[in-house]
Amino acid sequence: MSAPSDNPLWQASASFELIKLRADTLRAIRAFFDTKNVLEVDTPILSHASITDPFIESFQTRYLPLTKKIHTENFYLHTSPEFPMKRLLASGIGSIFQIAKVFRQGEIGHQHNPEFTLLEWYRLDWDHHQLMKEVEQLLSSLLLPYIDLAETHFLSYKHAFINTLGINPHTAQRKELLVCLNQVGLAGVLDENEDKDRYLELLFSHVIEPTLGIAENNKACLCFLYHYPASQASLARLGNDEGQIVAERFEVFINGMELGNGFHELNNAQEQRQRFVQDNKARKKLGYPQVLIDEYFLASVDALSDCAGVAIGIERLLMVMSQSEHIDKVLAFPFERA
Amino acid sequence: MASYSTNEFRSGMKLMIDGDPCAIVENEVVKPGKGQAFNRIKIRNLKTGRVVERTYKSGESVEAADVMDTELQYLYNDGEQWHFMHPETFEQMAADKTAVGDAHLWLKEQDVCTVTLWNGNPLAVTPPNFVVLKVTDTDPGLKGDTSGGGGKPATLETGAVVQVPLFVAIGEDLKIDTRNGKYVSRAKD
Repeated sequence: MSAPSDNPLWQASASFELIKLRADTLRAIRAFFDTKNVLEVDTPILSHASITDPFIESFQTRYLPLTKKIHTENFYLHTSPEFPMKRLLASGIGSIFQIAKVFRQGEIGHQHNPEFTLLEWYRLDWDHHQLMKEVEQLLSSLLLPYIDLAETHFLSYKHAFINTLGINPHTAQRKELLVCLNQVGLAGVLDENEDKDRYLELLFSHVIEPTLGIAENNKACLCFLYHYPASQASLARLGNDEGQIVAERFEVFINGMELGNGFHELNNAQEQRQRFVQDNKARKKLGYPQVLIDEYFLASVDALSDCAGVAIGIERLLMVMSQSEHIDKVLAFPFERA
Repeated sequence: MASYSTNEFRSGMKLMIDGDPCAIVENEVVKPGKGQAFNRIKIRNLKTGRVVERTYKSGESVEAADVMDTELQYLYNDGEQWHFMHPETFEQMAADKTAVGDAHLWLKEQDVCTVTLWNGNPLAVTPPNFVVLKVTDTDPGLKGDTSGGGGKPATLETGAVVQVPLFVAIGEDLKIDTRNGKYVSRAKD
């Protein structure tokens, strides 16, 4: 056994400068929402139920009563504070924000840490277009003291695919997508009988995303991508764009990296339940665990007013501000040191 | 055959890709907020040295390459092959031109080299980081010049040609950094 001082992993991996940058940024975010009368809220990290999305996996833990008997209820650590925040919205609280630590299994890498910080906020009576403007306003004000920004791009998911790959993601058939994957050197990564969305995700993450949020002069810019395929709606409502049914969902990128995801929120409980059930079916097919559907959330969905919400990854934002290549640079103690 | 899952991927891991042994140079998780995760790796083909990119769906398994490094003593070159010996078992092994590559410029008899074996056969030879080699040919030195400014080519006993300071003379032993092929100093003893 070596003395603790011999193990360098006891030390913080972020510099004091970047630990301070986080504190300054959180203070600036709170000041921003204070001027806009958006209320800060706090909701549970531990929950009976969780998100069903097949590609987001929750940490799970068990409640141990004081008798210390083994048999107890299963709890999930939240992957975003979305459900309880919407329950507050449904009860009429008005526009709200939260800065929360969230947890996602397996997500570790240059841009991922299994425990990370989300800034999530909801705007009552707004749609996703109005919210994108506010996201632009907040992110620009936070980033501009640190980096130069070119003019913001607003681009539909469809046009991103047409511009970069020459295909329409909404109408392209399996065969066309496989030919396209072949052309960009990604043949054989996926089987030939997978869900169409898997091909779109592969093309998107490997070919399109690296080009988003970079202006012509190589300068960084914010890039909002909106109107995802209806099959990738998640918790967004469906709308119509140029005669195509799309999800009123957006994501924001900078320097080829995703910073956040937003929805014009679905407020139809029946449709939301169908999507959860569908997710669990997809999970079964993939051999992934089933997730307990959040009945408290579903009970509130029909009472949810028209609103839009977004979640921004704080560590990603700090990485851009400090021009850090690895998320460990902006975390005091990343996963392996936690 | 042993295999590795993408979640075990890390730099230096040896995999079989397209029938060739390769080493992972860099592993990156590509995971959209919502959507399938992928591992994008940069790999070096250990036969050709070429670095290419590959993407795997996270959770997939890739066949492991039976590649290991051994420390062997270089014995001699018979004109076609380079012969090495294990310093303890005295087991001998021959490597061909493809495996030895540019390392032949730094191979000196008795030196201990790293020989990378694939399925038990030599795949690559890495000389020691520093070797001491005798100068067999160079222009006459300038007497008294120890400044090290300027330089001239010198041919070493292995046939390698390196840039050396002007004061270096034929017959001297030089310390060379094999990683960049550069002169370090005159050998001490």
